[in-house]
Amino acid sequence: MLQISPKSAKSVPAQGRETVQRFAEQGYQLEPEALEAICRYQGSQEELFRRIIGSIDRSLAVIGMQHINGLIQSSPKNGIGHAASTTPIQRRSTHILPASSRTPSRPSFPSASRTPPSSIEPSASEITLDSAPSDPHTQGSAQLSCDITGRSTCVGEYDDFVCYFRDRYAKIREILSRRINSRPIESLSKSTSGREVSLIGMVLDIRNTSKGNRVIELEDPTGMIVAVIQKDGEAYEESGQIIPDEVIGVTGISDGNGRIFVKSLLWPDMPNQTASLEKGSGHAILISDLHVGSKYFMDEAWQRFSDWLNGEADDPSGLASQVEYLVIAGDLVDGIGIYPGQQNDLAIMDIYSQYEAAAGLLNAIRSDIKIIISPGNHDIVRQAEPQPALPPEVQKYFRPDMLFVGNPAWVTLSGISVLIYHGRSIDDLVLRLPGIAYANPEKAMIEMLRRRHLSPIYGSRVSIAPENEDHYVISHPPAILHCGHVHTVGIARYKGVAAINSGTWQSQTDFQKKMNIQPVCAVAPMVDLATLKVRKLIFA
Amino acid sequence: MNNQDYFQLLQDGLDDAMAIAKMARRRGRDPTTDVEIPLAVDLAERVEKLIGIQGIAERIRHHEAEGLSREEAALAIGIDFAEGRLGAGASKIESVESAIRTSVALLTEGVVAAPMEGIARVDLGKNDDGTEYLKVYYAGPIRSAGGTAQALSVLVADYVRRSVGIAPWKPRPEEVERYVEEIGLYKRVAGLQYSPSDDEIRTIVRNCPICIDGEPTEEEEVSGYRDLDRIETNRVRGGIALVSAEGIALKRPKLKKHVSKLGISGWEWLDSLASGKKDGGDSTPKFLRDLIAGRPVFSHPSRPGGFRLRYGRARNTGLAAAGINPASMLLLGEFMAAGTQIKVEQPGKAAAVAPVSSIEGPTVRLLNGDVVRFDSDQDILEWMPISCKDPKTIQIALKAHVSRILDLGEILISYGEFLENNRPLAPASYAFEWWAAELLKAGGDPSGKESMDGEEAIALSREYSVPLHPAHTHLWHDLSIEDYDLLREVAASKGILESGRLILPLEAKESLETLLVLHKVRDGRIIIEDPLPFLLCLGIDWEGGSLKRRAEEAGGEPGGVDQAEDSILARVNRFTGIVVRARAPTRIGARMGRPEKSDKRLMRPPPHVLFPAGEEGGKGRSIQEAAKHSTNSSSGIINVQIERRVCKSCGKEGFAFNCECGSHTEKKRVCPKCNIPAPEKCPKCGQETNAVADMQIDVKKLYFQALESLGEREPESLKGVLGLFSRDKTPEPLEKGILRAKHGINIFKDGTVRYDLTDLPLTHFRPDEIGTSPEVLQSLGYGVDMHGDPLTRPDQVCELRIQDIVLSRDAGEYLLKVSWFVDELLAKFYHLEPFYNAQTPQDLIGKLMVGLAPHTSAGVLCRLIGYSPASAGFGHPFFHAAKRRNCDGDEDCVMLLMDALINFSMSYLPAKRGGKMDACLVMTTILNPAEVDKEAHNLDLTPVYPLEFYEATLTNTSPKDLEGRFDLVSKRLGTDQQYEGFNFSHATTDIAAGPKNSAYKTLETMIDKMDAQLELARMIRAVDEQDVAERVINSHFLPDLIGNLHAFSKQKVRCVKCGAKYRRPPLKETCPKCGGRMILTVHEGSVRKYLEVSIKVAEEYGVSSYTKQRLQLLKMEIDSLFKNEKARQTGLADFM
Repeated sequence: MLQISPKSAKSVPAQGRETVQRFAEQGYQLEPEALEAICRYQGSQEELFRRIIGSIDRSLAVIGMQHINGLIQSSPKNGIGHAASTTPIQRRSTHILPASSRTPSRPSFPSASRTPPSSIEPSASEITLDSAPSDPHTQGSAQLSCDITGRSTCVGEYDDFVCYFRDRYAKIREILSRRINSRPIESLSKSTSGREVSLIGMVLDIRNTSKGNRVIELEDPTGMIVAVIQKDGEAYEESGQIIPDEVIGVTGISDGNGRIFVKSLLWPDMPNQTASLEKGSGHAILISDLHVGSKYFMDEAWQRFSDWLNGEADDPSGLASQVEYLVIAGDLVDGIGIYPGQQNDLAIMDIYSQYEAAAGLLNAIRSDIKIIISPGNHDIVRQAEPQPALPPEVQKYFRPDMLFVGNPAWVTLSGISVLIYHGRSIDDLVLRLPGIAYANPEKAMIEMLRRRHLSPIYGSRVSIAPENEDHYVISHPPAILHCGHVHTVGIARYKGVAAINSGTWQSQTDFQKKMNIQPVCAVAPMVDLATLKVRKLIFA
Repeated sequence: MNNQDYFQLLQDGLDDAMAIAKMARRRGRDPTTDVEIPLAVDLAERVEKLIGIQGIAERIRHHEAEGLSREEAALAIGIDFAEGRLGAGASKIESVESAIRTSVALLTEGVVAAPMEGIARVDLGKNDDGTEYLKVYYAGPIRSAGGTAQALSVLVADYVRRSVGIAPWKPRPEEVERYVEEIGLYKRVAGLQYSPSDDEIRTIVRNCPICIDGEPTEEEEVSGYRDLDRIETNRVRGGIALVSAEGIALKRPKLKKHVSKLGISGWEWLDSLASGKKDGGDSTPKFLRDLIAGRPVFSHPSRPGGFRLRYGRARNTGLAAAGINPASMLLLGEFMAAGTQIKVEQPGKAAAVAPVSSIEGPTVRLLNGDVVRFDSDQDILEWMPISCKDPKTIQIALKAHVSRILDLGEILISYGEFLENNRPLAPASYAFEWWAAELLKAGGDPSGKESMDGEEAIALSREYSVPLHPAHTHLWHDLSIEDYDLLREVAASKGILESGRLILPLEAKESLETLLVLHKVRDGRIIIEDPLPFLLCLGIDWEGGSLKRRAEEAGGEPGGVDQAEDSILARVNRFTGIVVRARAPTRIGARMGRPEKSDKRLMRPPPHVLFPAGEEGGKGRSIQEAAKHSTNSSSGIINVQIERRVCKSCGKEGFAFNCECGSHTEKKRVCPKCNIPAPEKCPKCGQETNAVADMQIDVKKLYFQALESLGEREPESLKGVLGLFSRDKTPEPLEKGILRAKHGINIFKDGTVRYDLTDLPLTHFRPDEIGTSPEVLQSLGYGVDMHGDPLTRPDQVCELRIQDIVLSRDAGEYLLKVSWFVDELLAKFYHLEPFYNAQTPQDLIGKLMVGLAPHTSAGVLCRLIGYSPASAGFGHPFFHAAKRRNCDGDEDCVMLLMDALINFSMSYLPAKRGGKMDACLVMTTILNPAEVDKEAHNLDLTPVYPLEFYEATLTNTSPKDLEGRFDLVSKRLGTDQQYEGFNFSHATTDIAAGPKNSAYKTLETMIDKMDAQLELARMIRAVDEQDVAERVINSHFLPDLIGNLHAFSKQKVRCVKCGAKYRRPPLKETCPKCGGRMILTVHEGSVRKYLEVSIKVAEEYGVSSYTKQRLQLLKMEIDSLFKNEKARQTGLADFM
């Protein structure tokens, strides 16, 4: 929260646009002062918005300060307290039928309540950090801050792609511009010849010349430039790390003719810090890649895990009782038609039956554990990322208190921000970056953090849906980055962020055997949300 | 005319053309001043010319004279290199390389491009113990060499390696695993005929003394074993997969044979490999795999109602072409035309359709209930009440009258096909020729007894103790015992025999249809003509017109305990007291493969001339546009990369072939790095030199000068290329393009004009079916017909000479235009006499051409003798085999000889891998049957198949056991008989009968094609339409949908103005190069294309719920990508 505040002032325009749009959707316009006041409001934007809409005269066209003064003044402390206590579970439990009488037509979570009004800044304004750890009532609170569910804007036109990449550029540029004084590429005319300049660009192409130099095509919305990295220059070794479509800063000598000879390179990276900036309480178990429905799903191991969680197994250290959250980062089921010939590997051929089976397993877990489910490439949502949460017709199989989020998703667990991403892009990073292998997925995750982007490479393994916003940008440091997908466990601490890849519950398939993939099965990483220390619990 | 005269005639024609071509080339207006296609009289010479090392031909002839087989000779050549008898003075590596290339060339008859293009290079590596090992880099085109040559190339390399003292390869464990992963990956992305198990791959890699290395061929990268020291790439190397799997593993027995014969040690590990059988044995028959929408299934595997196997060869079948009755071709939605490829269950994988009228056609149930058989297209017309001349109305009429296709008719496949594929003989249908052989053996005379009435048939069988005549033999084996008993009961109790016809109630209909008993339905009663053999087989007596069940002659009454094991045929036999054979014991499943082709070869986009138009030529690569292009200071000047040439006499530099001073110019090659001039390699750094230079050229001036010198007006459009791809970027003279544009013909990458046709075999022809009069044919050397009678009538059957071809009429029209181009080129550009002087396609009859197959580098001289309305190129089996083609639906091209001689130049060929394929690098002038692809040696020429053969088919005998009983080409090699005296077993009236083009080509949209395909699936008894629908969705629509969906999300973008493509959309809205508008390359439309139709078909045909769910998920995904969930607020930006 603390490190966010200076930035949130800057981001008023983006947030403002969102706010204006929301009001416009209701038929109101905002006076600039009113907009500013709303944006500056420290409590839940959601709450405020509803309060304003609820109290405003329907005949009014333009909302001014006078209309909202009273509403904004109402003690922000109350606002915070209110927001913190109205966690989804509690809020929902008042609307929802008891779990025992589950109905198929359970309404999906109203999208307005899952989506904070701000664009990308999860701005975590719903929860204050100081109150969370000390407040015993926040136990089990898990809240979605940001994902794509219900907000897809993509219609498949050229402009969508441009918007998507421009948003990436703008957001990462903002991070970089705190450390580099850059200028637009089109300004590097003849007059800059021989001078040292800096610029921030997105990589369009990387190639090696016959003379052994490395040449990078960089662009920004104003133009394109060729960055030459000489083979005996200082930046040469580092430049091997450059990957397509990431945004980097470059400093070097301009030749005034569309080329720059690079002296140094700059990645956005995380702020230098060793300890996490957030402190939570309780423990979370992070898992992924269950692949229920596959012939290779490890029934027995899962049963051991479930029994342990439910206190039905020996647990001398008493860890199980401390678990408050179970986060699943995708591939809950094996799905259908994901790869050719998949039907031969399936124990359950019907996708809905697969979810029913998965729901059976998760519903059996003790009900005071909050379960958060994010989809992966095997799940029944679009393959193109970002992916929305599992659809209502699948959610209905599950206990009503589970939290379904998109992929990627920003989630807050009792004050700790967790960035959940299934991890498809690890495939790209393994192929592209030397020293990154499937055996150590945490290294790939560190590369994501360094680049402040979950999936920089376009056009390789990851399919993207060109949304208006680039949901992959890590615009502020999460406490935990949780991935899966590659079926191996990897745990690392990078600049205060716990990077955790959570392995799988599917034993090695014939295909993996052929591809030399050694999965790490039935291992559940458990995170202490107060210290961010991770234990690996083995159920294999 | 005898064969010597014939070959002399070809040789003389070639010499004449060569003399003129040489004169033309000496004018100095081409890259070189001589004809660039070397001629070769035999295999030895062809190999030598392909490899380019002196003395090879002599050694090959020497080895052949010693009686070595082709494969032995290939190994012996390797030893020649190792021991310095060939390629003296070369380094170790060079001799190994030459040895491998030469042996592969020899094994592939010096025809395919594999020896040049399939082996990229040979190099040395270092073992961990410090010794050196040999690496052979295989490239993609090694595929065209085939498994045996691939495997033997490794053996040759090993043999030579030992002689020159290079250590064996000692792979590291991770390298072994890399091969396992890589070969598996290759199988998935590109497919392998045979995939060895992982352990087998390990065995091969660990033990093979040569490092089988390769160039990357696929985009895919391995993910497990990456960045290995001694393997340069992470991408998949296709060559290693092919050589290891389809070479060494698949051809293990052959390899083993040579290893033991030569006594090479170190190959004992071959024994631990599996037997090297091809993939398969699984229950899903391969021919149905990857079914494509619009290409119908004609019969599921071995199903009643499918094609009935009949053995024999017609004059237009063999060499993988199968005979089908023209009525079947017409009835089956016209999807089969002469030349259409069908994928078959056996004996091979695929076959080309050839119309054969003397086999049985399809049996159908009409809407009025009648069951009739159509043995010719005339039969169909007669049955149809509406007279239909237009083929389209035939289809409408058929749909209006036919309710079900009960049986597809016969398929004619020769013994030679089973021999070639080494496939056990499948039981033969009981057909007239078999019965005739049995009658003859029993002392009867079968002549004129193709058909007879039932009474006579029974009498004959009783008299001679021969089986019942096939015309009266029904398909008893398709009927169940219960149905048989039921039918017998119904016929005996309710049947009425009335003036020679049997009248049955409708309840018998289904069984009659299964048996293919032809009948009519009138007033709710079934009428069967000539029913006596049928009644006999049912065990019913008809004495005095009343029908009675009769007791079995042997065995007890039906219904006993042993009945379950009783075969129905055995039962019929017991009732009749005469032998009743199985009418159709073997059914051949089939589906449509590729449609036939007869069309001009076009590059994309199709140029008229190999001359760079640069960016200035626009998207159309228009030379005229480039000439019009202007900047502030100049007009018609473009910047291009082009070959730098220098004049021998005056030293002037430019790119023209003839200098202003009149001399011929020469390429000026320099090292791109050191700038040192050298003809091949830089003396300093060893890099290959080239003559490419950046030049500003005045296209406008060149273009108008060219027009003026030819005295031509501007052609409507003149298209060049964006840039040249050859090593030195040699351009063609613009004049050639102007004349091509004038005559509307397009050029191929090597400078020649091509016409592509599907190959069909032909051993005999009739003058009337090729549209050439007997008089003209006489002048071409066809004095007599196949029986030795003088050729006077157009319906006599003549034996085709081995280098003569018959093309489609459309080919004739196009080649006529090519001849006009060549004539004008000779007259106006080279200032020589025109050569062809043709006014009509008929005037080209007797002219020489060159046939050339894709992936090969050796053309074959041939002579045009006529045109057929079929969309195919007919040639002698030897001619096709000389190009290393069979006739299973392959296509290749013809060129006019003079065009090839004058316009081809090595200088034009693309520098990239595979660039030398599909170009005539050497030409075979006289065809030697011994030196063609061995497949042609298995052609059978027997007019009457022996009785033992038919009997042997019943026990699935190996075709090899019957080789002695057949007249095969292989037995005639080396004698004069190899050219003539061929025969065939089944006659056909017209080699172009049936539809002229497959419905696949005539139907317009993919949806129309698929509708027709599914419609046909519903009609045909032998086809399960639900399975077809499921397969179409799974193997065509779903991959298409998924592929396009992925492509959409990872797509490249393109500038509409300059055509520049970008891997990802640039941040700038407009094209960074030219400022043009940018667009997507994959649109919603292409993603959605098959969604609705797939869902509709899935519903209509009740496909599995798994498939339905997959479609639903795709629909959800497509909607999610193309629908905005958040309604857009218009005008919002203005407000902000």
